[in-house]
Amino acid sequence: MKIDVGDYKGNKVVSLAGEIDMHSSPALRERLLVLIRERPQRLVVNFRDVSYIDSSGIATFVEGLKHMRTYNGRLQFSEIPQGIMEIFSFSKLDKVFEICGTLDEAVNC
Amino acid sequence: MSDTVTVRVRSHPQYLSLIRDVTVRFCSIYGLSEEVTADLRLAVDEACANVIKHAYRGDTSQRIVVKYAATARDLRITIEDTGEKARPELMQGRNLDDIRPGGLGLHFIKRVFDTVVYDQKRKNGNRLLLIKHLRSRDED
Repeated sequence: MKIDVGDYKGNKVVSLAGEIDMHSSPALRERLLVLIRERPQRLVVNFRDVSYIDSSGIATFVEGLKHMRTYNGRLQFSEIPQGIMEIFSFSKLDKVFEICGTLDEAVNC
Repeated sequence: MSDTVTVRVRSHPQYLSLIRDVTVRFCSIYGLSEEVTADLRLAVDEACANVIKHAYRGDTSQRIVVKYAATARDLRITIEDTGEKARPELMQGRNLDDIRPGGLGLHFIKRVFDTVVYDQKRKNGNRLLLIKHLRSRDED
């Protein structure tokens, strides 16, 4: 999995590519928690190039969300492929994460 | 007669992608739909991750054996380890409405397989049998 952290219109964006699984999710968790420690008001995760996610990946984002909620930060997801979205929906995570169509929609809402 | 494929890997998470790839290839031979294949890929991955986490408690030097067998009627995947005995009676996924890290893997396994059962006759380690009934392509 590839993790790129950048800025988009003044917002932190984490762009992911590849497979998020038990092997790769510890590195993702570490990067996310370092970013969240800076207490960004908004953190956008772009899933455009993610081909797979398992329960360890989902757990990583749930943990990140719980940290951000302690200071009213917003964790937003953008450009989620259909197969990944189906897993989020089954897990009812589409009800707790802010899911946006595009990166622009995320940073503008 | 059934067609079988056996994969033996070390209990290291880096091999999970290999197991996922084999699962997808095996499903493609039997013409399973993309949706079912994706669900099976996730379920087998979660079952093997559970072996690493729970049966081997993170020990990456052990062995996982995944056996794929298919007939015209069903797809059978057996996952074997030599780790700590599973206690199926204590296993249950979290309530899906209770949003917290963990507890989803079992849901992913049970939503696609028709049978999820541990072989109670096995003396050492675990043998998890997963069965997916096959339908014709028209029914997928």
